[in-house]
Amino acid sequence: MVNFTVEEVRSLMDRPTNIRNMSVIAHVDHGKSTLTDSLVSKAGIIAHNNAGSARYTDTRADEKERGITIKSTALSMYFELGKDDMSAVKQKTDGSSFLVNLIDSPGHVDFSSEVTAALRVTDGALVVVDTVEGVCVQTETVLRQALAERIKPVVVINKVDRALLELQISPEVLYQSFCRTIESVNVIISTYHDAALGDVQVYPDQGTVAFGSGLHGWGFTLRQFAARYAKKFGVDRDKMMKKLWGDNYFNPATKKWTTVGYDANGKALERAFNMFVLGPIYKIFDAVMFHPDPEALPGMLEKLGIKLDENERDLEGKALLKVTMRKFLPAGDSLLEMIVIHLPSAATAQAYRVDTLYEGPMDDESAIGIRTCDPRGPLVVYVSKMVPTSDKGRFYAFGRVFSGTVRAGPKVRIQGPNYVPGKKHDLFVKSIQRTVLMMGRTVEALEDCPAGNIVGLVGIDQFLLKSGTITTSESAHNMRVMRFSVAAVVQVAVEVKNPADLPKLVEGLKRLSKSDPCVQTWISETGEHIVAGAGELHIEICMKDLEEDHACVPLKVSRPVVPYRETVTAESSIVALAKSQNKHNRLYLKAMPLGDELTLAIEDGRIDPRQDFKIRARALADEYGWDVTDARKIWAFGPDGTGANLFVDGTKGVTYIQEIKDSCIAGLEWATKEGVCAEEIVRGVRFNLIDAVLHGDAIHRGGGQVIPAVRRVINAACLLAEPALMEPIYLVEIQCPEASVGDVYSCLNKRRAQILSDRDSEERRPGTSMFTIKAYVPVSESFGLTDHLRAATHGQVFPQSVFDHWEVLPASPLEKGGKMEELITKIRVRKGLNPVIPALDQYLDRL
Amino acid sequence: MSAENTAFSTSGADAIARTIDVQPERTITSPSELDDFYEIERTIAEILTGDYKRVALQFPDELLHDSVPIYRRLKAGIGLGRELYVLADTSYGSCCVDEVAAQHVDADAMVHYGHACMSQTSRLPVIYVFGKKPVDVHDCSHLLSGVFEGTVALLRYDVAYAHQAESIAAALREALKIPISTSQTSDMVPENIIYIGGESLGLTNLLITHSACSVYSYDPSTKAARLESSRTNRLLMRRYATVQKARDADVFGILVGTLGVASYLPLIKHLRALLARAHKKSYTISVGKLNPSKLANFMEIECFVLVACPENSLVEARDFLRPIITPYELEVALQAEQSWTGRYVLDFEKLLAESAAANPDAAPESQQDSDDPDQPVFSLITGKYRHAKRFGGADKGKEALPADAEPSSSVALRSQDTAVALADSAAALFLQERTFRGLEARVGEDAPSVLEQGRSGIARGYADDHRTK
Repeated sequence: MVNFTVEEVRSLMDRPTNIRNMSVIAHVDHGKSTLTDSLVSKAGIIAHNNAGSARYTDTRADEKERGITIKSTALSMYFELGKDDMSAVKQKTDGSSFLVNLIDSPGHVDFSSEVTAALRVTDGALVVVDTVEGVCVQTETVLRQALAERIKPVVVINKVDRALLELQISPEVLYQSFCRTIESVNVIISTYHDAALGDVQVYPDQGTVAFGSGLHGWGFTLRQFAARYAKKFGVDRDKMMKKLWGDNYFNPATKKWTTVGYDANGKALERAFNMFVLGPIYKIFDAVMFHPDPEALPGMLEKLGIKLDENERDLEGKALLKVTMRKFLPAGDSLLEMIVIHLPSAATAQAYRVDTLYEGPMDDESAIGIRTCDPRGPLVVYVSKMVPTSDKGRFYAFGRVFSGTVRAGPKVRIQGPNYVPGKKHDLFVKSIQRTVLMMGRTVEALEDCPAGNIVGLVGIDQFLLKSGTITTSESAHNMRVMRFSVAAVVQVAVEVKNPADLPKLVEGLKRLSKSDPCVQTWISETGEHIVAGAGELHIEICMKDLEEDHACVPLKVSRPVVPYRETVTAESSIVALAKSQNKHNRLYLKAMPLGDELTLAIEDGRIDPRQDFKIRARALADEYGWDVTDARKIWAFGPDGTGANLFVDGTKGVTYIQEIKDSCIAGLEWATKEGVCAEEIVRGVRFNLIDAVLHGDAIHRGGGQVIPAVRRVINAACLLAEPALMEPIYLVEIQCPEASVGDVYSCLNKRRAQILSDRDSEERRPGTSMFTIKAYVPVSESFGLTDHLRAATHGQVFPQSVFDHWEVLPASPLEKGGKMEELITKIRVRKGLNPVIPALDQYLDRL
Repeated sequence: MSAENTAFSTSGADAIARTIDVQPERTITSPSELDDFYEIERTIAEILTGDYKRVALQFPDELLHDSVPIYRRLKAGIGLGRELYVLADTSYGSCCVDEVAAQHVDADAMVHYGHACMSQTSRLPVIYVFGKKPVDVHDCSHLLSGVFEGTVALLRYDVAYAHQAESIAAALREALKIPISTSQTSDMVPENIIYIGGESLGLTNLLITHSACSVYSYDPSTKAARLESSRTNRLLMRRYATVQKARDADVFGILVGTLGVASYLPLIKHLRALLARAHKKSYTISVGKLNPSKLANFMEIECFVLVACPENSLVEARDFLRPIITPYELEVALQAEQSWTGRYVLDFEKLLAESAAANPDAAPESQQDSDDPDQPVFSLITGKYRHAKRFGGADKGKEALPADAEPSSSVALRSQDTAVALADSAAALFLQERTFRGLEARVGEDAPSVLEQGRSGIARGYADDHRTK
C-alpha cells in the first residue's frame, strides 16, 4: 500500500523549500539499490519485509539477473518529518511534509555516464560506502563528479552487519575502521573543495554520516542515539551527539565524561561510541546469533523499547535478527532524517548552483529564475537523459525544471547542445504533449510541474538526441552540457545477418544512442556501423538492448577494437613546406606537442573555443606559458572545432593572410580527423603557420588551392615531428584476498599492466584480509580481463576499469619492423588504406 | 595525381612541357602488326562505306604515340578528299567518345581508339578500335575450370578481347561442360560471371552492379584466374558510407563528367528535379577532369553528384574534401527510409526508367515529409541529430525562420548591403559562416576617387605584371 497520493506529491511540488532532489551514488556492489529499498518501503511502496531483497529500482530483467544496476531510476516519495526533528532543519521550510525525489544510480564504472546524468538534476547525494571494502575507485569518481556539480554529499556506511557477523571484529576495531573510511571520504571532499558550496566534509557527530545495513533494513545516525541518551544524561541532544564520537569516554564508576582513554587508576575506559552506540547492537547480535538465549532476549528487547509481534517472536537466527534490528533502528527513518535535515532543498541549492549550471549572463531573466527557483519565472528545463517508454522507439525526456512551470500545450524552445543564442541552429519551437512524474517502474500523469522538481516530458524526444535545454525566454542560453568521466574507448562493429534488416539496424542505432548518455554510434569510412562504449560490459549490455529492444533483428558483432590517437613528440625538425597545386601559394608550418596539461584543459573545457579570445589568451599565457600575442592568434581548434589541436597564425605581415583563414580551418579539420600515420584522430598538437606566400589574385588562392595544401603541410609537419600513436589506458582497481594477490599479479603482467602500488604499500582494509591493487592496463589488453581474473582466483575478485588517460606508445610508427609497424599496418588495412604510411616526400615540397 | 594540372596553370609552356606517366603497353614495330592491332583495313572500309568526309581520331594518352603511323596508313587508305584529324585526350574519361571535341573540326564521324566504355552516343557515328590484345584461349579455359564452381555462366570481357570472345566461350563450354552465354544485355543475370580482362574500372563496375553474382576473372596479361567477388562487399560498404555522407548534405553540386553519353541531359534535369523536391540546393558544374583543388573551390557544396559514363562514375573520394556519389546513390540517399540492399545501378537509361516508374509514389511521400519540416534527422556520420536546411520550399521556409522575429540576429544586421534573399540562398548562408567575407564595403565612408587605369590581360599574367623581369 502506497501511503501517499499523486495529489499529495503534486501539492508539495509547489513548495521548493520542502523538496529534496538526491541521488544515491557509490562503488559497485556497495548496496545502493538495497539501501534505496529501505526508503521505498518507508514510503510504503513495497512491504517492509521485502526491503533489501526487492531492489525496487532495478527495473530491467537483466538488472535483476545480474544483480547490478544498469540504468538510473527516479522515484518521487512523500514523507512527514516528526515535530522535534523539524528544529534540526537549518534551512527555510514550509510545513513538515517533504518531497524526496530520489535517483538510484548504477555503481559499475561502465555506466558512470548514468550517474553524471542523475547528478545534474539533483542537489544532494547519498554516498554509500561498504564497511569492509571502504572507499573504492568508483566512490572517488562519483564523489568527485558530485562535487564538481556542487552537490552536497552525506555518507552511509553500509553492510555493518558483515563486520559483525563475518569478520566478528571488536567494537574498537570497527570504530577505527569507520574513522578511516570517513577520513578517506573527507580527503576527497577537501581535495575538490568549492568555495560556493562551503565545507561539506562529513562528520558523524553532526549527523551527516549514517551507519547501517541495507540488506537487514536497519541504520542509524548519532542523532537518534543522542536523542535516546539526552534525556538520561540530562544534556542537550546536540551536545550529546558530540560526546558520542571521537575521543570521548564515560567513566561508569565516577559517572563523569572525560577525553582521556583511561581512568584515574590507569584502567582503559570504553569509548562512548563503542559503549552507547555499538554496545546495544553488539548485545542484540550476540543474544540472537552467537549465544541464543530465548529467556533473556525478551527482557533485553523490552529495555531497548523493541516490541515484536506474536509470529515474529517465533523466528530465530538471521530472520529474527533482521526483524529485531529493523524494529530497533529502522533504516528508512534515519536515512530520511539525514536527507531532509542535511541535504539542501531545491530552493537553497539552485541559488548557489546557478553559476555552474547556466551558460548565459548571471543577470538575465532565466538566470534569475533559476537562482530564485521561481515557478512563475521563464521556463528553464534541463533534459539530462532519455528514458524509453513502453511505446517502442519513443522516449520520455527526463530532466529537471530549474525555473518556471512546465505544462503541456504552450510552445517551448527546445535548444540542442549546439544551440547558440540568437541563431536558429539546433533550435525547435514545439509543444510538450504531456508531463509525467517518474515513479520507478511506472509514471503518473501530471498537469504541470513547477521549478525545483524532476519531471518526464512526452513528445519532444524527436528533437533532442540525448540532452538539451527547454526554455521560453528568447534570450535564454543553454544549460551547461554534462562532462562525462568515462570515454567511449571500446568499439565494436555491428552488422545485420540479413541485409534487408539494415533500415531496422539504423533505426535501432539511433534509439540506442538516445537511450544511453554515453554510447556513440556512427558509420566508419569503410561502411561499418560502429558502436562505442565505456567498457566491455557496457558494450555487452548495449548489444543486448540493440538486438532485443531497439533493432529487433539478429546481429553480428565484431570483436572489440580500440581507437588510437595520433600525436607528435617533438617539434618538427625542419619547417615543412607545401605548395598549392598551382604552385602559386606556399605554406610554411611547424608542428609541436601541445603539452599534456593544455591538452587536458581543452578536453575538460577549461580552455574553450567559444571563450573570448582575450580571456583565453590570458589563461594560456598565465597557466601554460604561452606568448600572449601567439595565444591571441589561435585560428582554430580541431577537429570538430573543439578538439585538442591548435592552429596558430604565426605569420608576420603576409598580405591576404586573413583570406585563407577559412581554408586553413577546413584543412586543419581534415588533417586532424585523419592523421597521417593511421588516419586516427590527432590529439595534442600545435600547428604554427610560420610563413605563407600567397598569389595576388583571389582566384589563385581560393579554397581549392589552399585547403589541400594545408592538409599536406600539416601531414608533412607531423611526419617531421616524431609522430607517435597514443593508446587509451584503463585504471584498474582490484580488491582481492591476500591469497590471490600472486594470481592477480601474474594475470596483470601478461597484459602489459603497470602496477601502481607495490606489494608493501597496498592498502589493506583494517580487520580484513582484502588487498587493493591498482594498475594501469592498456584498454586493448583489457578484453577478457574480468573473466581471466575470476578464473585465476576462483571468482573471488572483480576488477573495476575506468578510462584514465591516453598514453604515447614508445615505438615510432615510422620505424620499420617491430610491433608498431604491425599495429599501424593492421589499422590501415582495416580501414582499406595502403598498408604503408605515405612517405614524407608525398607531402613535403621543395622550394 | 600530382601529374595532373589545373585549368589555371602558370603558362601555356608548362602544359606543353608537362610529362605524363604513361607506360605504353606494347611497342609495335612492323607495319603489318600495326595494321592488325589497330584494324586499319576495317577502319578504312567503314569510312569508305559511310562516305565520311571529315573523320576525327580520338586517342587516349597511352596510345597517342601510335597516332602518327596510324594517321599515315589510314590517310593512304582512304585517299584524297577525305580529312583525318587527331584529337588530343579528352577533358573527361578517355573511355568516352568526345563528340564535342570532334564537332570542333566539324567531323562527320569518329574513330575511337583504345579502351571504351561503350556508352551510347547521340551525335556522331563512331568506329571503335579497341586494339586486339592476345588471349591464350587454352590457358584461359584451363585455369578458369580450376577455380570455377557453378552450373551456368555469363561471359563478359574487356573490349580489347572482344575479337576472341567467341572462341573463349567455345573453349569454356567444352572445358566446363556448362552453357555459357555471351550476350551483353544485362537483363538476364545468372549466378556466375566470367570476366576476361585485367583489373580495371570495368571489373569494379561489374562487381558492384552484380553483387549477388560470383564473378570469376581471368587476366590474359598475367595469366591468372581467380574469384573476385570477395571484395565486392567491401566496395559496396564503402559506397554505403559515402551515401550516408550524402544524406547529411543540404547543398549538392551536379558534376558534368561526360558529354558523350546519350541521356546525360535528361539525367541532369532529373537530378535537379529530385533535389528540388527534397528541398536541397543544387548547382550544376562542369570542371572537366576532376581533381581535389577544382572541387575544393566550391566550398559551400557539401556533396557532389557525378554524371559520367559508368566506368568513371565511381570516384574514390579519399583525396577530395567532399564526397562524390553517383546518381543512383543520390536516389538512395534521398529516400526517407534507409535501404541498401546491395542493388546498384550505373546505367543512365535504366535509372531514368526506374525513377519514372517510381515517380507517382514520390508525390505523397513529399507531402508526408512536410508534416514536420524541421524535425531533425539522425546522422550516422556524426552519430548526432542534424538539423537539415531546406531550400526552395518558399512557404515553409519563411515559417521555419524564428530568427525573422529577432532583431538581434546577424541576418538582420547585414541585410542593408548584402541585398540577397538570405532565406533561400545557400551561398549567402555560407558567406555568413565565413570569417573572411571579402573586402569591406565602406559605403559612404571614403571620399570618391579619380578613376584609374585597371589591369588588363588574363589572370595567369596581366599586362602590367612582372614588368621588372
